[in-house]
Order: sequence, then C-alpha cells, then structure tokens
Amino acid sequence: MNIARTKIPRDLLILLGIYGGFAILPAFLSGNPAMMGILIMVMIWAVVAGHWDLIMGYAGVFTFGNVAIFVIGAYASGILTINYGISPWLGLLAGGVIAAGVGILISLPCLRLKGAYIALLTFALHMILEPFLKGGVGKAIGTGGALGLLNIPPLSIGGYTFSSLNLVPWFYVTLGISLASLFIIYKIIHSHWGLAFLAVRDSEPLAKSAGIDDYRYKVIVFGVTSFFTGLAGALYAHYIGVLSTRVLGLDLFLLLMVMQVVGGMGRFPGALLGAIIVTFADEGLRAAGVYRLVIFGAMVVAIVVLVPQGIMGAILREKGEGRGPRAPKLKLPPMVRSTRSGKKAGRRENRLEVTYEHS
Amino acid sequence: MNEITEVIISGLSSGSAYAMMAVGMSLVYGVSKVFNFAYGSFYTMGGYLAWIFLGGLLGSSIGYPATFAIVITALFFIGMGTEKFAIRPLRARRDWEMLAVMSTLGLALCLDNLYLALFGPFRKSIPPLFEGSVHIAGTTVAMQNVAIAAIALSVIAGLWFFLNRTKQGLAVQAVAQDMTGAQIVGIDKDKVFAYTFALACVLVGFGGMLLAPKYLVSHLAGWNVLVKAWVITAFGGMGSVTGAVYAAFILGMVEAFVGWQLGLTWTLLVLFAILIGIFIVRPQGLRGTWG
Amino acid sequence: MNILEVKKVTQRFGELRAVDDLSFTVEKGEVFGIAGPNGAGKSTLFNMITGFYRYTGEIIFDNINITKLRPHQICHKGIARTFQIPQLFLTLPVSDNLRVGAHFGAQSGARTHDVAGEEENIKEVIDLLGLSGKEDVLTSHLCLYDKKLTMLAVALATKPKLLLVDEPIGGLSPTETKQFMGLIQKINKESGLTIIIIEHLMKALTALSKRMMIIENGKRIALDTPEKVCCDERVIETYLGRGKHA
Repeated sequence: MNIARTKIPRDLLILLGIYGGFAILPAFLSGNPAMMGILIMVMIWAVVAGHWDLIMGYAGVFTFGNVAIFVIGAYASGILTINYGISPWLGLLAGGVIAAGVGILISLPCLRLKGAYIALLTFALHMILEPFLKGGVGKAIGTGGALGLLNIPPLSIGGYTFSSLNLVPWFYVTLGISLASLFIIYKIIHSHWGLAFLAVRDSEPLAKSAGIDDYRYKVIVFGVTSFFTGLAGALYAHYIGVLSTRVLGLDLFLLLMVMQVVGGMGRFPGALLGAIIVTFADEGLRAAGVYRLVIFGAMVVAIVVLVPQGIMGAILREKGEGRGPRAPKLKLPPMVRSTRSGKKAGRRENRLEVTYEHS
Repeated sequence: MNEITEVIISGLSSGSAYAMMAVGMSLVYGVSKVFNFAYGSFYTMGGYLAWIFLGGLLGSSIGYPATFAIVITALFFIGMGTEKFAIRPLRARRDWEMLAVMSTLGLALCLDNLYLALFGPFRKSIPPLFEGSVHIAGTTVAMQNVAIAAIALSVIAGLWFFLNRTKQGLAVQAVAQDMTGAQIVGIDKDKVFAYTFALACVLVGFGGMLLAPKYLVSHLAGWNVLVKAWVITAFGGMGSVTGAVYAAFILGMVEAFVGWQLGLTWTLLVLFAILIGIFIVRPQGLRGTWG
Repeated sequence: MNILEVKKVTQRFGELRAVDDLSFTVEKGEVFGIAGPNGAGKSTLFNMITGFYRYTGEIIFDNINITKLRPHQICHKGIARTFQIPQLFLTLPVSDNLRVGAHFGAQSGARTHDVAGEEENIKEVIDLLGLSGKEDVLTSHLCLYDKKLTMLAVALATKPKLLLVDEPIGGLSPTETKQFMGLIQKINKESGLTIIIIEHLMKALTALSKRMMIIENGKRIALDTPEKVCCDERVIETYLGRGKHA
C-alpha cells in the first residue's frame, strides 16, 4: 500500500487545526469567561505535558521533575517582577532561562543513571522544592514562604494592562506562546535531534556505537524541555496572579501524567489532545464531588491497560501492536509510508533463540 | 548519653520497619522490573484496615491477631488482583515499564482519594500493640518500638528463610536472576511475578499496620513511605534484598540523627543529598547490579 | 601495518578478571578471528575496545590512544561494531536505522551536512547487503537474519576502518550462516576493511580468518594462523576437544 506523502504531515495538521479552532473560539465565547479560562489553562498544560512527553515519550528519559521545573519558572518570574521590578515579559523569558538552568543542572547526575533511578532523582527535586520554597532560604530570596507570592503583576502591552476582567488578551498571548512551544517540539522531533533522541531511547548501546553522544543529547533535551516548561510556569504565574506551593501538590503531577497517557506517549501531538480531554474531564467530574479523583484514577488505569497507545496512537491506527511509540517521519528526503513486507517472516521472532554448534 | 541511645533505638526501630517495606519493593523490582507507584497507597490500606477492625469503625476491636490475619489476607488478594489486571496486560508492550508506572499512579490516585472520601481528612489513631515501656541500655523505650523492631526483623528473617531455603523462594530467585533460564526449567514466571507482587503488598500493608499506632493513619502518608522505600531500595541497589536491609538501617539511623540535630524538615534533604552522592560514586547502589 | 594494538589490558568485575593482562595486535586489512569457551571474556573485550567498559592497560587504534575515549568518540575515530544480541532502533524503519550511523557516525563533526552524500552512503550499504526493497520496513517487523543484516548495515554506514562483529550467527540456519559469512568475506575483500570477528562456529571462523586468537578465562592461549591454532595442544584441551568437530 503506497501512500504518497501529503504536503503537510498529519501531526502538524492536527496541531494547526486545533489551534486554528482555538483562535476563532473567543468570538463565540464572549459571554462565557469560565470556558475561556478553561481553554487558557488547556493551552498552558499542553505546553507542560507536551514537553514532558518530548523528554519521556520521545527521548525515553524517565523524569519526574517537570512540575518542579514549572514551579521554578513560575516563582522565578514572580520574584523578579515583584522584587526587582522587571517587566513581566522579561520575567517570562527569565522564568524559562532559570528553569533551563536548573534542568541542565539536574541532568548532570542523571547522565550515568538508568530508568527508575532518574525518576527517583528528579522526583527528589520535586519533593525538596516545597520545603525549600517555604523555608528560610526560600524566604530570603523572596518566595514568601508558606504564604507564597500574592501580587504578581499581569502582562501589559503598550499602556494596556491585562486583567482578569477581560480574558481575550490573555487568551491570545497564551495561544501564541503555547503554539510556538508546541511547534518547536514538532520541529525537534522531525530533525536530527529527534533522531538522536529516538535512537538513544530505542537502543542506547547501538546509538553510542553509531556515534551519538548520549550525554550531550540528554543535556540538550533537559535544557530545552525545561526552558519551555519554565516559560509556561511563568505565564501561569502572571495569569493567575498568585502563587503558592500548593501547585506542588501531587494532583497536578498526576493530571499531567494522565494527559500524556491519554493522549498517547511519544506520539505528537498526543499531549495536546490529552490536555484538552483531561482538563475538560476534570471539570466535568466536579459534580462527583469528593469521588472525582477516585473515578479519575480508575479511568487512568483503564485507559493505560486498554488503550495504552493513547488517543493519538488510536488515530495512527496502531492497534496496540506492542511496539511502543513509533517514530515520526524525518524531514529528510521524501519517503514513502512504510510497507508491511516481512510481516510473515516477522513471526519467527517470537521463538526462543538458541545457538547451534554445527560440526 | 541517654538521648543518643534513644535516638539510636528509634533509628533501629524505624529502620527495621522501613527495611521490611523496602525489601518488598526491591524484591518486586528485582524479579519483575515493576515499579509500583501505588506502594504508598497499599501502606495506607494496611493502616485503615487496622483502624476499621481495631475499633475505629465498629466501635469494638476484634483484637490484634485477627486484624493481622485480615490485613495480610486482604492485601495479598488485592495485590494479586492489581498485578493481574493493572500490570500483567501491559507486559506485551515494549514500553511496559513506563506504562506500569502510569497504571499504578492512576491506582494510587484512585485509592488515596477513596480513603479520603470514605474516611475523611483527619488522621486516625489505633491502639498500640503493647502498652508501656521497658528499660534498655539505661534508657526508657516504648514497648511499641521494641515490638515493631522485633516483628519487622522476624518478618525479614522469615523472608530470608523463604527465599533461600524453600523451593518456592528459590524459584523467585531464579526468575530474578535469569528469566529465560527459570522458564526452561519449568518455573511459571507469571505465577512468580504475581505472588512476589502480592507478597510485597502484604509486607508494606503489614508495615502500615505496625507503624499506624506510632505515626497515625492518613491518606497522604503513603507518599512519604513510597519515597523512603524508593530511596532505600535505590541506595541498597534495586533488586538486592540484602542491600535494601543494609540501606534501610543506615538511612534509618541517618534520619534519626538528622532529625535529632537539625530537625525533621532536613531529613528528606539529607537523604536525597546522600542519594545523589551515591549515584555519582556508585550508580547501581550498594549491592545492586545493572539489569 | 598494525591498525589495532591491545596492550596488557585487564578488566575486572569485582574479584573476577574477565580479561586478564591480554595483548595482541591486528593487521590492517585482515580478518582476525577470536574464539574461546563461553565466559572467556570475548564480548567483554569488544566492550573494552569500543569504550563501553573502563580497563587498565592501553589500546591504540590507528596510532591514536583510545583508552579513555567514550563510545561515540571511538566511533568517530573509525571503529564500528555489532552486538551479540541484536540491537536495533525498533521503532524506526531500516533506512532511518542506517541514517543514524550515516549522520552521527560518518558525518559527525562535518562542517556542513552533506545530505546527498549521506543518502548515497545509505543506499550503497543497503545495496551491498542486499536489503534493497526493505528500506521502509520497520525493523521490528524483520526476521532475525534481516535484523542482523541491518545491525551490520548501521555499523557500515559509519564508514569505519575497523569492524568488530560479535557472534553474528547465533540463531541462523545453515544457509543463512553461509550467506552471512560470505558477506563478511566479500566486505573484507572488496573494501579492505579490517574485521575482527568473534564466533563459536570453528568451521566458519577458520575459513574466514587470516589469523585467530583463542581466549580462555580472560587470557590468550593461542594466536596464529587457523591451521596452527587448531592443532595447538592447549586449544584442543580447553576448547576444541578431540572429537571430529574441530
């Protein structure tokens, strides 16, 4: 079955389609600020989930530090704008840069570690952050201790200061930043960086012996994903206006993980789809009151077990082949969609391989 | 002098309970490479079950021995069920390890909030196994602490015996060392995975019950336990049971001393600092091997 | 001319010396065979040469001391390898597997990215190994033989000067074995690529190798032409046996 490559690849199409849809929604939502607010949060979470998926799903680095990085970006921007009066726009940038710095720092001890150990170390970052922010050192740099930051200045353009009374400017700024952040993911996974990430994920020994410097790419992926996660955090801080360590609670952590699974790990733009579905599901389940998260948790288990390839995987018609996330086509010379020759021969793989000694 | 002894004994007591729980995690990881993110929720389950049957729900207690039996049985079957429905179906896939973490994460989310919904946000207390105190090495020690240490150590000893002197235990070790080889000699690896997982759940739930009188039962407590067990297991070497035991005692002592000198908030930080140090020097932990 | 000099290298796992004070040299352009009982340290030796393990001693490749280099750097110096248990990028098609080698191995550090050259390289290797027509097949769908071929292709795409092949024929049928060994021979004869090959199958190894080394317990117990090695008393004692097999 030969399918000629379409002009715009499917994943980019979905991304642009969804954001295109978002772009025209405010026209229909003028009387519904609640919905606008939800969509703004969807777009912010899409960045966090998307970059978390880039490092976990694509690069295969089992990291649990992304919520911490998000919060670091948020606090960084908050502190700099409140205490040092820099412009919130610069704050966004600073949030990203500082978060990237932390991300790179934490990547260093992880270079020689495997799987679960990296998860542990990065989770440690998450667990240490709360006492740090609340404690003496935190207060000294302006985190506001347990109370947090209360008056984070909103964004402003020209003379106009954004406010919570009119969400439209927030909506479009968030849309711009979010789309850019996700588009970067698209570019990366279709580039040679993406090839390196996948190679190291699929087989680190082969990747290394084929010339890939695994340390370098691990640091790169930590740095890039941390920048955008921190940027999203900073945006969140200015949007919400207040910030406390409550964000470090496990609820957010779990929700972001769920977004990746539901959307399809390692299948761009699965995380975006996951962000949309999970955010709305979360809202929808509020009626269940105290059982909301119980149902959510049960749903997560069901989805992971029954549809592990996620929504995006289902769209790509993977049917749970058992092979995990499939790589996207590279932007290099035009390639034809993969044919399925060799499938019959493929059945032989399942037998136990035994070495014969012939005489 | 007295204070130090108290600290040491407290460290030993917690250390032995942590050891028992960390051993479960290390065993499961060593045998099936599964990381159970809901481990803390099973710990809490033991605590709440104990609370229910020791007077919390029904008003009257059915006594410790009966409660032990109920907790062990319940955790065993729930553990088996979890492995069968939330983990085994995933094994066919290449990325099953990550999926198993997600699945157990979802389970943790579900269970923790279920406890919150059923039992409310306030911590529950349960009566201790033994009242009163005893004189050891010139200082007074709560009998409960002694009991915890004694029981935990007996369980660990029992586990050692099981792993090294019984046929089933050797089967477990065989699967941990070489899955294919174990299958070739006829060991049913799926059964081993299931029973080991269930065993770990029993160990951690039992620990939850043992420590409940000391630390109270709360739906949030599980995460601390998960992280501690995780740190201990990584420090000792994932997959090494003896490593986990050594690590648990070392870290139990460190925790006791740091808590005494610097205050409780510093303990986690120090533990992680040590962990980072270990990872730099010896990434596979004290007694671990890669793979 | 010696392309590889291994000088008194030792690798220990705790108390066990997997490779014990081993020395040998490999001449440019030859096929050098390594054999020995299981657990003798052969794969460990490959891991040492390619930088996966740290060791004491020295290894000089093409007059460069590669002892302290990391695997990707050693690849850039010109050593490529295959693995005993097939390693592949299973979520990628065959052509992308090779692309990894072509881009990060052969072209790494190049000032400008030569797309055309890379494609040509990939095509050449695919044609050479007979993988034409399978470029777009996901490697996870391949049969064992093709998987091994692809793994070899990735190594060749890095344009190496020395190729290390680790027990390539495990699991292959006699026909496939013959084919594969034939390929190795062809590669060596046509391009002069130096090849070191670890194998158990003595018949194939002796037919291919110009010289052979037998390792036992991490130590070298013989190094000579195949004929001489197979008659060596110690080799017969410890490895070959006296039956009709050798």
